[in-house]
Amino acid sequence: MNDLTLIRKNLFRKKLRAILLTLSILIAFLIFGVLGAFYSVWSSGGALAADNRLITVNRINFTVSMPYAYWNRVAALDGVETVSHASWFGGYYQDPTQFVQTFAVDPETYLEAYAELTMPADQREAFLTTRDCLLVGADLAGQYGWSVGDTIPLLSNIWQKNDGSSSWEFNICAVFDAEDDKVPANYAMFHYDYYNEPLAFNQDQLGWLIINTTDPALNDQVARAVDEMFANSPAETETTTEAAFNEAFANQFGNIALILLFVVGSAFTTILIIVGFTMVTAINERTGEIAVMKTLGFPAPRIFRMVLSESVMLSLFGGLLGLGLAWLMIAAVAPVAAAFLPGLSLPPSVFWVGVGLSVLLGLLTGLVPAINAQRVKIVTALGKQ
Amino acid sequence: MFNQIGAVTMINLRSIPQRAGLSLATIISIALVTGVLLGFLAMSNGFRATLQGTGSESVAVMLRAGSQAELNSGLSSDQVRLIEEAPGIARDAEGAPLVSGELFVIVDGIKRSSQTEANLPLRGVGTQALALRDGFQMVEGRMFEPGTNELVVGAGVIREFSNFDLGETIRLGPNEWVIVGIFSTGGSVFDSEIWADIAVIQNLYNRGTGVQSIRARLTSPEAITELQAYEEGEPRLNLDVQSETDFFAGQAGGTAVLIEIIGWPLAIVMAIGALAGAWNTMYSSVDTRMREIATLRAIGFSGFAAAVGTMVESLVLAAIGGLVGAGATYLVFNGVSASTLGSGFTQVVFSFAVTGGSVLAGMIMAVIIGFFGGLVPAIRSAYVPLLTVHRSE
Repeated sequence: MNDLTLIRKNLFRKKLRAILLTLSILIAFLIFGVLGAFYSVWSSGGALAADNRLITVNRINFTVSMPYAYWNRVAALDGVETVSHASWFGGYYQDPTQFVQTFAVDPETYLEAYAELTMPADQREAFLTTRDCLLVGADLAGQYGWSVGDTIPLLSNIWQKNDGSSSWEFNICAVFDAEDDKVPANYAMFHYDYYNEPLAFNQDQLGWLIINTTDPALNDQVARAVDEMFANSPAETETTTEAAFNEAFANQFGNIALILLFVVGSAFTTILIIVGFTMVTAINERTGEIAVMKTLGFPAPRIFRMVLSESVMLSLFGGLLGLGLAWLMIAAVAPVAAAFLPGLSLPPSVFWVGVGLSVLLGLLTGLVPAINAQRVKIVTALGKQ
Repeated sequence: MFNQIGAVTMINLRSIPQRAGLSLATIISIALVTGVLLGFLAMSNGFRATLQGTGSESVAVMLRAGSQAELNSGLSSDQVRLIEEAPGIARDAEGAPLVSGELFVIVDGIKRSSQTEANLPLRGVGTQALALRDGFQMVEGRMFEPGTNELVVGAGVIREFSNFDLGETIRLGPNEWVIVGIFSTGGSVFDSEIWADIAVIQNLYNRGTGVQSIRARLTSPEAITELQAYEEGEPRLNLDVQSETDFFAGQAGGTAVLIEIIGWPLAIVMAIGALAGAWNTMYSSVDTRMREIATLRAIGFSGFAAAVGTMVESLVLAAIGGLVGAGATYLVFNGVSASTLGSGFTQVVFSFAVTGGSVLAGMIMAVIIGFFGGLVPAIRSAYVPLLTVHRSE
């Protein structure tokens, strides 16, 4: 009988207790895994951003537009590889509650700026040359059951045409996706000209500019040059990296990281306390046995190691089960959540942090009982009986 | 019978200190679960209370049909004039209609919590705007002078955003603006707004004489049907007309429900973990008192009394945990100010509210954990074999 067998037998000597402890550890790691996966998608806006991509918005706020002429003026600056532009359409399909994220863009430069968007070559060509084409993200197309060849009207909750209508007729001629699941494919875009020409108001205005610099090292220089060019004009600008822009937008919802930390912290404190006290109780119950083991010649360090291994094994077992269950749950939810949380999955980093935490939990909860066990005095322990 | 139950229960409760560690573990774990639940409920209740506390039944809000939010809407000054002539609109002492055409645009503010830019609503208002907000008062400073670059800011804005203190200068577009006053509407959504003179904002944003929303005081809450009928019969108007109460209540839904549908499942999953902990504690409690229970049974106490004693111990530990959790949540979270992106696409400042209803929900959950945690150990204690008395330990 080696040490491992002894540890295993000890762990499951009270089956119900072992099961209950495993269950509470499992729950904490399930919460950790699910929230960790959620957070990594939530905060991926910064990580997904190309490091040479800048966003220029009106300095007052990104919902305020800027003149169309800014587009060409920025293109002439040093360090600028391409400039594209986009405008918020405020689109919905059939009913105002069926919101569709839609942008009016300059097709050619937009697809250059966002090179990660992929589509068949013939569809790309069709989007570039068809004036009323709607380029739809794969997730959005799935949501409404749209496919290439469909003709659909989209209504705007902001814009109106000269004739008073708010409806633009589109021909879906291309569907885009991306290699990386985390790149959102839940929106659609169309030709700026097709949208701009019939506008009843706010004509020849842009929502924001997307600038690709020739080198990320030039980001600051380009951003400053852009903002200085439009300083003291009626539409001043503010240029930041795409990562910073995305991060600021995510922060508008509140301090999500702090809320998640609070929840995960509570879950771990709970198991730390439950498992910790139970381990102390369990080892106290075995004082007599430990005294016998010592009498038989087990050295104190070996007993210390065995008790510590027992709690680490328990914690690792529960932790791995919890992370596994989290993985299963996320895999089941991911297809449904694709429209608003694209690429939801349990990232390896979250998994390994979870494994690390479960070892740490085992060490923390095992330390006091292990010290107690190591200190058991044969005479007093056996004398008690 | 009741004497027996009372006696066993007292023995159980008095002996809790002997199992201090595990009992404390149960209390703390249940307190934490209750705390998480109440934290989420305080967030959603606070947000909902702010939106539902905003608006008046006797004020109508009018937006361009289909625009859904003030930000998206656009109306002409001609339409404002048509509404001023509409039936059901109240008038002030001089006979002027209580109608306010307002502009609603977004400016950047720096959120204190994250130091990043967030959307703040800048509302351009005329003289009638105050007559349409019950409970409006200047907390500090004064109202802006019409025609100047002066701003007044809501009390909520000051709490959550930097650089809006009285007397500070901020830049909007090419112009500098001075903050001359701080107003409050008693914790409503308007406290998250910045107000300035409508004519100056129209100029800054090239809006001509256009407005985005019209608010009108009604002669009575029922007069809204008259106004709606008038709107339908007037081809020059194409508006969505609703009471201000409905307008804001509709906005409460999404966010508040979202917080709850995240909070409840999390709390329930955590509760299962705490339940396992409570079960474990009660199991140990019965385990260490095996001989004691057997002795009681031997001298004539019923198994039922032993079971009730165990169950009460579990319920008492759970209830203490629930109370500790509720108390801690109240002390830490109640009244804490926060802001999030509301459905108007601007920040809504609100305060966490730990309500009686949510404390009750938390306590019920704690007691349920105690009940199921104690159930199996209680049954077990009813069937302790009498021979355990002789078990040598």
